[in-house]
Amino acid sequence: MRTMKLGFPKFGIVGAAVAATLALGAAPADAAWEPKRPIQIVVGFAPGGGTDQTARLIASAAQEFFPVPLVVVNRPGASGTLAAEIVANADPDGHTLLVAGGSESTSVPNHMKTNYQLSQFRGVIRVNREHMVIVTKAGSGLDSIDAVVKRAKEKPGSLSYGSSGPAGILHSAFLVFEKEAGIQMKHVPYQGGAPALAAVLGGHIDMAIITPGDAQAQVAAGKVHAIATTSDRAAQIPDVPSLTDAGYDVNIENMKGLVAPAETPDEAVAYMHERFEKAMQSEGFKTLAAKSKIEPGYLSGQDFEDAMKRMSDSIAAAMSGEQKAAQ
Amino acid sequence: MEAFLTALAGMGEPATLLTLLLSVAIGLVIGAIPGLTVNIAVALAVPLAIFMPTSQALVMLIGLYGAGIFGGSISAILLNAPGTPASAATVFDGFPMAQRGEATKALRISLVASVFGSIFSILLLILLAPQLADFALRFGPVEIAALLFFTFTIIGVLSGDSMVKGLLSASIGMVLATVGSDPMLGTPRFTFGLTSLLDGLTYVPLLVGLFALAEIIDEVTKGFPRSKQRFDLDQEDRARNRISLPEWRSLLLPMTRASGIGSFIGILPGIGATIASFMAYADIKRSARNPEAFGKGDIRGVAASESSNNAVVGATFIPTLALGIPGDAVTAILLGALVIQGVTPGPLIFVNAPEVVYTIYIVLFASTVLMGVIGYFAIRPLALTLRIPKIYLMPCVALMCVAGSYVARNNILDLFVMLGAGVLGFIFNRTGVPVAPLLITFIITRPFEEAVRQALTQSEGSMAVFFTNPISGGLILFAIGLMGFTLRSERRRRSTARSAPQ
Repeated sequence: MRTMKLGFPKFGIVGAAVAATLALGAAPADAAWEPKRPIQIVVGFAPGGGTDQTARLIASAAQEFFPVPLVVVNRPGASGTLAAEIVANADPDGHTLLVAGGSESTSVPNHMKTNYQLSQFRGVIRVNREHMVIVTKAGSGLDSIDAVVKRAKEKPGSLSYGSSGPAGILHSAFLVFEKEAGIQMKHVPYQGGAPALAAVLGGHIDMAIITPGDAQAQVAAGKVHAIATTSDRAAQIPDVPSLTDAGYDVNIENMKGLVAPAETPDEAVAYMHERFEKAMQSEGFKTLAAKSKIEPGYLSGQDFEDAMKRMSDSIAAAMSGEQKAAQ
Repeated sequence: MEAFLTALAGMGEPATLLTLLLSVAIGLVIGAIPGLTVNIAVALAVPLAIFMPTSQALVMLIGLYGAGIFGGSISAILLNAPGTPASAATVFDGFPMAQRGEATKALRISLVASVFGSIFSILLLILLAPQLADFALRFGPVEIAALLFFTFTIIGVLSGDSMVKGLLSASIGMVLATVGSDPMLGTPRFTFGLTSLLDGLTYVPLLVGLFALAEIIDEVTKGFPRSKQRFDLDQEDRARNRISLPEWRSLLLPMTRASGIGSFIGILPGIGATIASFMAYADIKRSARNPEAFGKGDIRGVAASESSNNAVVGATFIPTLALGIPGDAVTAILLGALVIQGVTPGPLIFVNAPEVVYTIYIVLFASTVLMGVIGYFAIRPLALTLRIPKIYLMPCVALMCVAGSYVARNNILDLFVMLGAGVLGFIFNRTGVPVAPLLITFIITRPFEEAVRQALTQSEGSMAVFFTNPISGGLILFAIGLMGFTLRSERRRRSTARSAPQ
């Protein structure tokens, strides 16, 4: 069932128009490598989630440029690490890609033993980035990053934060923040970001991390203070300062892009990068990304790889004091 | 009012009505297939939702959701194989009813109870959403832990004749639930290095194995007897399948109670329809004057389970709409679909997009009514499934079990879980060990451990919080009292049983 292409019908029309335009202008530059069978895009999360949405968006936008079908395959499990393990050990022949850049790439391998390393992947393209926003309950007195740091220093260990689960990227973002600010807080993991936000609203924990879209809605309703983003400022909520602005060297965000097994040949990666980049420039992609509140964040394969490495290294540095959970 | 009319007009369009009809019908079918759950149906519908107008997209997603939950009871009653986890408690009385030739009656009760539960929770949603959502927020880790602790007392109710066998089954369930990664630290437990086991044994394959596969193995060992079921098409059976007015009246109170329980569980984060239906079943059985009738085909058992699991559906929309926080996996997907429609979900949705809120209300009602209508006409043809000789029917069910277990995660390991659970279920059947306690502890243990440890992290290891908190202290006292009561009546029952033969 899942192997069927779940179509975005309108892309057919838009994409065909774009393809026709491009075909007039450009001759195929790379005759060297061609995909021979369908390309699998493996998603480590269940259908319907954010990662799955990104995958289906880029796959349907790029389909016009590929001679073979792009098939989105969901292999959910273990915070995305199951899919990462599968792709890390797949044939590096350019027919298997992973949607990476989030918890499974930059965060989890720093916390526990995984059957793969970040170095076992090479970047193809970064598709989008998602800012992460720290929120506290409105009226809690914790209305700025300074207030949080001050309270945490007055009473070490009294503040608590919720995450979407141990070892995930939300957990790591708080760890890096704690290290940079020199504070200690209690970590309370939940099953996903939504229950953690509910716990903040109910006053059971002091802070959680949510997406800019959710933050915007909750702030407008006067339910939470959006105190900082964990990287640079987000376009959707320009008034919210970033941790970098506040003087903390924290640069953690949830990225999504495509990676291939590390030994995939250069020609294959170049071939795919060129086509996915074209797809990202298409009107159809831009419209749908805006509609789905997906923030496009193009980076070349190499730059995407470097960005993941930087993030992973900063998490590793913050962890060096902590004990790895499952070594 | 204007927004309400806009919403109503959007519903009146032929395309919307057709979408509703199709999605309710598809929801019923997917719900009825063991292993294929509502979550899968809704997730697969999301890419389609992008290109639909808001009202159509909502119609499709909500139609699939409600109908899917009811659909689960069809196979629970007819095949002893709940189509979705939420209908597991329907099996206890639904299948015995079908076995004595009252399949149509059981299906009718299930349908009426589902419609009743849905309407009950939709009314709560419309009338009290903000108040209930605020109330739900007060349930933190301490309260949730106490509530789940209380839920463990259900084991006593589900154990049947032998408390020892019930506890044996419950302990196996608890041990199975410890497989997977530690909820606080992520440390793997009993995973043997398999990444696929980090999320624990998955619930759907376990359920499919314990019920459906165990039933198939049972039939195989008996050589597919033809006489096991009596079919309800001749005149005599038609009379037996009629539901009398006093029977309806006797169902009214249980259905209301069960819907209340379902709605309460539905507004709390992370508990869900499955636990709700077990809780309601246990509550109705416990409060009945003749609890020994349950498990042998009591209509109240079917009504309790089915009205509470459908009440969860409406109730999960309460936090979803009032707080902008999804109540479960399905509403999370639904919220995502709303975003694509340009609607920002959140507490202000009532102000910013009232027509969307009204559309959701209307669609919830319309899909419930349609579910009732389609269900009513589908019941007799569905009951005819039982006419198919077992030797042809069972292999088809087996095929669906395998497919359903696999597609949930596309993971081959889940097939082995299903096969193992099937053998375990078969052994349980033959040794008279009840399956239900295993299931209930398996579902509760994980959220219970999580809530306890979240609470202990907050309190820095002090257990006192569970007793100083009024809600949690009260629930724990109540649970202990109930356990004492169960043990006492069990001892009394055994002593009378011992003296009886003399």
